[in-house]
Amino acid sequence: MGAPKTTGQGATSGQAAHEDRWIPSACTICYGGCSILAHRVNGTIVKIEGNPASPVGKGRICAKGLAGIMILYDPNRVNTPLRRTNPKKGIGVDPGWKPISWEEALEEITVRMEKIRAEDPRQLMIQVTTTLAPSSLLFFTFGWAFGTPNMWVAGGGIHCGNGAHAVGGIMHASWSLVPDFEHCNYALYFGASKGHGAGHAATPNMELAADARARGMRMVVVDPMCNFAAAKASEWVPIRVGTDAALALAMVNVLLNELGIYDAEYLRRHTNGPYLVRPDGRHARDAASGKPLVWDATAVAPKPYDDKSVGEAALLGEFQVNGERCRPAFALLKEHVEQFTPEWQERLSSVPAAQARRLAREFGEAARVGSTIVLDGVRLPYRPAAAIYFRGAQGHKNSSHICFAVDLLNQIVGAADVVGGALGFNPVCHGHPDTGRPRYVPRAERDGLMTPGTWMLPHLPYPPAEPRHPDSMGFIETYPLSHVSPLMASADQTKWWERFELPYRPKMMINYGANSVMSVGNKDTVAETLARFDFIVSFDLFLNEFSDFADIILPDGSYLEVLDPRPNFPFIFNHPAGRGQWGWPIRQPVVPLTHERRSAREVLLGLGYRMGLGPELNMALNVFYGLDGPQMLDPKRAYTFEEITDRELQHKFGPERGLDWFKEHGVITWPKKVEEVYWRPFVDVRVPIYWEFMLDLGDKIRAVTEPRGMRFDRAYYSPVPEWIACPSHEVEDPAYDLYAFYYRDVLHTNGFTMENPWLDEASRMDPYSYTIALNTKTARARGIKDGEAIWVESAAGRRVEGKVRLTEGIHPEGVGIAACAGHWTRHQPIAQGKGVFFNELLEVDFEHTSPVNLNLDLCAKVRVGR
Amino acid sequence: MRYGMVIDLKRCFGCYGCQVSCKAEHATPPGVFFARVVKRESGTYPNVRKVFLPLLCMHCETPPCEAVCPTGATSKRPDGIVDVDREVCVGCRYCMQACPYEARYFHAKTRYYFGAQGPTEYEAVGYAKHPTGVVMKCNFCAHRLERGEEPSCVLTCPTHARTFGDLDDPQSEVSRLIKERGGEPLHPELGTGPSVYYLPA
Repeated sequence: MGAPKTTGQGATSGQAAHEDRWIPSACTICYGGCSILAHRVNGTIVKIEGNPASPVGKGRICAKGLAGIMILYDPNRVNTPLRRTNPKKGIGVDPGWKPISWEEALEEITVRMEKIRAEDPRQLMIQVTTTLAPSSLLFFTFGWAFGTPNMWVAGGGIHCGNGAHAVGGIMHASWSLVPDFEHCNYALYFGASKGHGAGHAATPNMELAADARARGMRMVVVDPMCNFAAAKASEWVPIRVGTDAALALAMVNVLLNELGIYDAEYLRRHTNGPYLVRPDGRHARDAASGKPLVWDATAVAPKPYDDKSVGEAALLGEFQVNGERCRPAFALLKEHVEQFTPEWQERLSSVPAAQARRLAREFGEAARVGSTIVLDGVRLPYRPAAAIYFRGAQGHKNSSHICFAVDLLNQIVGAADVVGGALGFNPVCHGHPDTGRPRYVPRAERDGLMTPGTWMLPHLPYPPAEPRHPDSMGFIETYPLSHVSPLMASADQTKWWERFELPYRPKMMINYGANSVMSVGNKDTVAETLARFDFIVSFDLFLNEFSDFADIILPDGSYLEVLDPRPNFPFIFNHPAGRGQWGWPIRQPVVPLTHERRSAREVLLGLGYRMGLGPELNMALNVFYGLDGPQMLDPKRAYTFEEITDRELQHKFGPERGLDWFKEHGVITWPKKVEEVYWRPFVDVRVPIYWEFMLDLGDKIRAVTEPRGMRFDRAYYSPVPEWIACPSHEVEDPAYDLYAFYYRDVLHTNGFTMENPWLDEASRMDPYSYTIALNTKTARARGIKDGEAIWVESAAGRRVEGKVRLTEGIHPEGVGIAACAGHWTRHQPIAQGKGVFFNELLEVDFEHTSPVNLNLDLCAKVRVGR
Repeated sequence: MRYGMVIDLKRCFGCYGCQVSCKAEHATPPGVFFARVVKRESGTYPNVRKVFLPLLCMHCETPPCEAVCPTGATSKRPDGIVDVDREVCVGCRYCMQACPYEARYFHAKTRYYFGAQGPTEYEAVGYAKHPTGVVMKCNFCAHRLERGEEPSCVLTCPTHARTFGDLDDPQSEVSRLIKERGGEPLHPELGTGPSVYYLPA
């Protein structure tokens, strides 16, 4: 079944129609950016479907994507630029919006920005929503050109990604991890839902995961709540909130020390497992080259790791090097994890010791260490077991070690970026056959360890940049393993700025679609930081809780009305992993902009040129889009966004495939090669199973931060993963006996989708979407009945209220709340009052932040009542 | 030719794609769902089973709705689709009492998703097809079948949980799945002979 879509004229419903077209574009309701076809009849979009021509969805699309029509036509959208008339700013305080002209708005904004740039460009802060990633990075490009380091993605990133993406980069040269669904036989999920909800490659992963389970892939999901992935799992492993590292470390121990299952060849040749470690924890190094030494067991001598004459590098044993007792890093790791017994982890995580042992054995056996498979005529390592982590597991203070511990499961059995194992999202691309673009490949950097071939931001996760005295509001340059920082909106930001003598203060903010009053943590903390700004400009589709602090609102085009050359590039971000086709789709306007709405991207460009930022902006755009040769932007010219889009597309795919070609075809595809997908055997890089770099990194960070009173705890900088409790685990008051957490709902993205009436309608029908999930037995013991109104209060005294849903599918100590709901703004009448505002329970300060990657700790110790 | 559908509960994870795809295809008003998803759980912690159940009109072989319809508005087509002729329907709702699968909806009066703010441009176009005072329900996207296209819910399902085809053809995908995976309709004991089969989770 299935006739080709008509792109020409056609009549519908018995009426004479003058237009009936299906226009290829890309969704943006989550950052999956799945490819769509929008059906426009006589100027109205009447349906959205997937685009069968694109590998990003292959013709399918989830409920959120289908509901996009109701965002486009929502009567509550902002239609004109607005200026506040009430100078007072506060939560729920009416700004007194009055419509103004675009010229008036742009003039005021330009004057203010020019002044700030002349005084100190660092006074400008840029805030962007993750929903529009990766295209929202255009705003970061503007920031670089302007000269400010102060940029972030509000709740996104500090909640979900600082840990996961940094470790993904270090260990897999990619933003995220996914099981090789096509071949994996045993997938172990820690606080992740890949294939069962939103996120990177959302729709493609749904098909891949379902096919895998139908094929017989065993899926084991470790999660405090039996949500979408756990609901389909072969086994749901309930776990106490925030204790994933304990279980993972115990499993590493069982594999190495009880079962003796590890891939010696992989560890020897593709990791720093054989690198010798001195008693002080640092590598033994060759005096001449500085390279780490390995012990050549054949020659009975130490040699640099990349010396071609090395026979067999030792993974175990003790060796005298330069008068010191040295051991291979692998041996050190193996001994280190002996303390993490299944019995020890049970006390912390509540996962029974026998179950932990069994999972380790199953995982280790499923990996089939040593086996190979032939695909497309190429013999490749075959390890059909994968362990992945994402937002839930990594959202805790010891974020980096948690991800490290989980990923060690893959590294130990050699299941990293090989057939059946844990795949980074597209770490390698050789480019389109006609142009060889885009092309990127990981390469060996310091100590032979891998650095990614492409990244989302300029500073790469490895090697970490030198920690410096803070120059930005968020202290990113002091903590180089972070991407974004909670200090941008924290309760203690001014204290730290004073202690570190930050020579400026933020004065102006440009916000692109984010709602930081809701997405970061408790609203009062964020509100206080916003009230300090002199001026806030916000590009929005709707007024929301953040708008109460804005001075000018600029009405943006929705995704169905705007252009974007790269909704799915970099490929490490949201292009499906595994075999199949490469696809580069575009996003294009399906209907013209109405009212006074303008595309934020074009407005931003225009502002840049208007204030004389042209040369810097064009050069930054050249870097961002990778433009060189004839498509490179001339610093002295002004370009429209259409022209830039045209150039980017021609640069990547040839002069005959510019914007016009893409508007017609929607996407360009070409086949992936096995050498791209299963690339580890073909690229000579190693990954660190021992993070020696943490020692120097820790020392340097300490040197900058400790003298100024910022606490430094060496345990977080251990080169081997440690168990470190969350602040919530250390609350002593027995009145607070439950752990609250939030989770991604299949119907929602950030705080954006509750206003969509089709999604709201489904949420009201869903048992969990708008409710507070509590274990049935736990609730009954407190006399709480299903459907009652309850409150949830953190140990810090912050409270949320909502309707309780009793369920057997949650850990007895868990309190599970979906998404970022509980809107109170009257400007989103559908969203108002629906769901629960979990983030109110979160503290935003350095104490609740990972001191390695600046991820926020997302669990709160709470009590509940009626 | 007997149109039928197979829904694979092993694949479905309750994303509501079918529900919203149907709503977008037919522009059904608030509260009307030709396709919807129901969620339940069973078992005791930690041995919990979650069931996601996509529902729609079962297009029964012996439709109770047809038997009770006083005007003949509801009828079963030769291809198996049970449809409502909304020109003929008088809105007595006897069919809704008869249907054991709660698959029918009465369109009492025009309501918009943004309430007093009025219809969106999309609703202004889409609701033109929906007279008030009559009953409405799934018709297996008959208008799409005419064009050689699958029902909208089948097309969109990201996990390929839904398959559509000819139950009378033993070689069809739907027939094969029912045989190989043990497909069963919902509440077969009611004896209406549904054309929608479910594969076990």
